[in-house]
Amino acid sequence: MSRLQALLAWLDRASDWLSPIVVKEVRQIVRGRDFMSSFGSCLFAGLLVAFFGAGDALTGEGTSGRWTFMSLMTCLTILGLAVVPLGAFSALRNERMEQTLELITLTALSPRRVVIGKLLAQGVKLATLFAAVAPFIAMSFLLGGVDFVTILIALLVLFLWSLWASAAGLFLSTLLKSRAMSGLVFIGVGIMALMLFGISRPLFFFLSRGAFVTGTVFGVGPSPGQFWWTLAITTTSCVMTMANLVLLAENRLSLPTANRVTALRIGFFAQTLLISGWFLTYINEPPGTESAAIAFFGMIGGVHLAAVAMFTVTEDLIVPRRALLQMQRPSRWRWLLAVFGPGGGRGAAYVLANMAVFLAAALIFDPPALRLRWLVAICAYICLFTGVPTLVFRVVKPARPASVPLRAGLLLLLSLALLLPDILYYLLWQPDLLGFNFGARHLINPFRTLANWETVETNGWLWVPTLLGLNGLASYGLLIQLGRRTTPQPVTAAQGVAAAGEPGSAPAVH
Amino acid sequence: MLQLEGLVRHFDGVCAVDDVSFSVERGKVLGFIGPNGAGKTTTMRILATLDTPQRGDARIGGYSVVDEPEKVRRIVGFMPDYAGVYANTTVSEYLDFFARAYDLHGSTRRRAVENIIEFMGIDELRDRDIESLSKGLKQRVALGRALIHDPQLLILDEPAANLDPRARIEFRTLIRELAADGRTVLLSSHILTELAEMCDLIAMIEKGRILATGTVQEILERVRQRRILSVRLAGAHDGLERFLLEQPGVLNVHEISGRMQFEFSGGDDEQVALVGRLVDAGFPLLEFSARSAGLEDLFIEITGRGVQ
Repeated sequence: MSRLQALLAWLDRASDWLSPIVVKEVRQIVRGRDFMSSFGSCLFAGLLVAFFGAGDALTGEGTSGRWTFMSLMTCLTILGLAVVPLGAFSALRNERMEQTLELITLTALSPRRVVIGKLLAQGVKLATLFAAVAPFIAMSFLLGGVDFVTILIALLVLFLWSLWASAAGLFLSTLLKSRAMSGLVFIGVGIMALMLFGISRPLFFFLSRGAFVTGTVFGVGPSPGQFWWTLAITTTSCVMTMANLVLLAENRLSLPTANRVTALRIGFFAQTLLISGWFLTYINEPPGTESAAIAFFGMIGGVHLAAVAMFTVTEDLIVPRRALLQMQRPSRWRWLLAVFGPGGGRGAAYVLANMAVFLAAALIFDPPALRLRWLVAICAYICLFTGVPTLVFRVVKPARPASVPLRAGLLLLLSLALLLPDILYYLLWQPDLLGFNFGARHLINPFRTLANWETVETNGWLWVPTLLGLNGLASYGLLIQLGRRTTPQPVTAAQGVAAAGEPGSAPAVH
Repeated sequence: MLQLEGLVRHFDGVCAVDDVSFSVERGKVLGFIGPNGAGKTTTMRILATLDTPQRGDARIGGYSVVDEPEKVRRIVGFMPDYAGVYANTTVSEYLDFFARAYDLHGSTRRRAVENIIEFMGIDELRDRDIESLSKGLKQRVALGRALIHDPQLLILDEPAANLDPRARIEFRTLIRELAADGRTVLLSSHILTELAEMCDLIAMIEKGRILATGTVQEILERVRQRRILSVRLAGAHDGLERFLLEQPGVLNVHEISGRMQFEFSGGDDEQVALVGRLVDAGFPLLEFSARSAGLEDLFIEITGRGVQ
C-alpha cells in the first residue's frame, strides 16, 4: 500500500468520528460554485491588499500592517457575517425544499445532530476561508502596526460571531416552508439585526461593560481589565445564544409527538442565569455605574423573561403521550427536570423559576428599594399580560391546541394596552388637546409605567401595578393547577395499541 | 411484522386515513392499491415515522410508530415517491452518507455500501454524479439507500413509476429476492397486473378506508367467478345496453372503444344461451369475446372510478 493510500485509509477511518452531516456537507461545499467564488475572492482580496501594503511599507513608517489587517478583516467580516450565514440558511432550506431532510429524519440522526452537523460544516467552511487569508494576515503582522494578540483575538471573535450568524441562518431557515417567504424572513431579520445592533444601547453597555460608553456617560475610562471583561461577556453571550439558536432549530425540526421543549427550556434558563451573572459582576462598582447596571439588567432581563413567558405559558396544556412516557422514565434528576417538561402548566412554573433567579440576582445586588420594586413590577406585568389571557382561554378550551393564535392574541392585547388608554380618554373626555403626558390611565401600559416608575411611586399609584401583578401571579398559579389536571396520566408502553394517541396528542402540524 | 390498528389522520378537517387496520407477516409482500388521494402515501409516511396519527397506532417488529419511532427507524427502509438526491455528490458518496447516518462505522459501513452497489447492480455508476442520472437510475439508487441499513420492513411508495419495462422485470425479481430473504415489503403501484405478480397480499384503500384485504389468490378467485364479456355489433349499439341489463347474471354494462363490455356471473351454458338470445333479438353480432376478471376490474368495481 502506498503512503497516499495509507493516508486516505486513515482519513476514512478517522472520518467515522465525524458527524455524517459534516462529511457530506464538506464534500458538497468544496465542489460548489459558491465556495469556489468565496475562496477565490479571499485570495484575490488578500493579494490586492498585500500588494498595496507592500508598496506602503516602502515609506518606512512601519504602520501599514494596521490598515492591511483592517482591510483583510473587512473582507472576512463580509464573508463571515453575510456570505457564510446565507450558505447555512440555504443548506437547511434546500434540504427541506428537496425533501432530503425527510430522508435524513428516517435515519439514526436526531434533529439536534442534523443542526449541529450543518453548523460544524459551516465552521469548516469558515476555517478554510480564514486559512486562505492567513498568509496575508501574517504579512500584515510583519509589516508592523498591529500586535499578535490583537490579530488572534480579532480572528477568534470574528470566527465565533460568524458561527453565531450561521446558527441564526439555520434557525431562520426552519421557520417557514415556502422558499420565497423564508428568503424574505432571512432578509427582514438581517435588516432588523443590523438596526438592533446599531440602536441597542443596553446590549452595547453589557457587551462593552462600560469600556466604550462609560468614558462619556459614567465617568469611567476603559482599562485592560475592562477589555477582558468585555471579551468574556461577548464570548459567553455569543456561545449561549448560539446554543439556544441550535435548540430552537432542533425544536422546529422535531416531530410533534416528541418532547421538543425540555432542552430548549434548560437552554433559556441557562441564559437567565448568565444574564444574572453578568449583572452581578457590577457589584461594588461606583454608584453611577451600579444604577445604570440595574436599569440595563431590568431591560435585558425583562425582554428575555417576556419572550420566554410568551412562548412557554401559551404552550398547549396537553402533552404528547410519547413525551409523557419519556418524563416517566426513572431518573435521578426527574424531580429537577419536572419544571423543564412540556406543557403550558409546567411552562408557568418554569417562568416563575426564571423570575425567581432574576429577582434573587437583584436581591444579592442589593439595589435601592425603588429600583427593586421596579424590577418586581417588570415581573408583575409579564405575569399579567401572559398569564391572565392564557388562563381565560385555557378555562374555556383546555384541550384545544392553539398556542400560535394564543401568542398572536397576547401581542394584540399588549398593543391594545398601549393604545387604548389614550384613545378611550380622547373619546370619553373629549379634551381640546390630546395630552400624551404620563398619567394614571397609562398604568395599564407596561412600557410607560416602567419608564415612569418614579412618578408611579411619588403619586401613590403603586397599588395599581401591585394589584395587576397579583392577578398575574394568581393566573400563573391557576394555570399550573389547570395543567396538572389536564395532563393525562402517562400510559405504559405495554398498554400499547389500545391506548394509543389521546386527542390532541399529535397536533396536525404537517 | 407489521400491525396497523385503527390509524386515523386528518388534514385540515379532511380525513386522509380513516380507521385503517391490517397486518402483514414477515417475508410477505403487500401491495397497497388506491386512487390518487386515497391515503396510501399518508399511511406509508405514518409507518415510516415521518407523520403521526391522531388516533390509533402501528407496530413494526413490536415497536410502536408513535411511542418508539427511533427504534422503528432502525428496522424500516422507506423509499418515497421522490428520489431525494444531493447536488455535487457521487452515488457511492450518497450511499456512504446514509450508511454513516444509520450509525454504521468502519468496515461495516464500507461493506454495506459495497453490498448494496453489488445487489442493485450499479457498480458502473458509483463515481457518477447522482444528479446526472436518469429517473430510473436515481430510483434504483434510492432503493439502495432504503436498503443500506438492512431493514426488516421495506416501504416503497410507487417504486416502479419511472422504470422502463426491463427495469420493471428486474425490480420484480429484486422484490421477490428480498421477500425470500425474510424481509417484509409494503409497496404501492399504478400497475395492478404487476402487483398481482409481485405481491402475496393486497390492500385496497379509498377515501382513507380499507375496502378489501387478502391474499392475491383470494381476491382473484373472488373476481374470477365473474367473466368479462365483450360484444361488437355490425351496426349501432341502439338498445343493446338495455337488452343486456334485462338478462340474468349481467352487471356493469358500459361501452369501451366501440364494444359493449359487461360482467357475467353465469357458467358456460348460460353464456351460450345469452349469445343465442342476442342473435334471436336481431342484434347483428360481429364479435363476441370472454375473459376472466382481474385485479383492475375488481379495483374499478370497488372504487367506482379509474385507476390512478
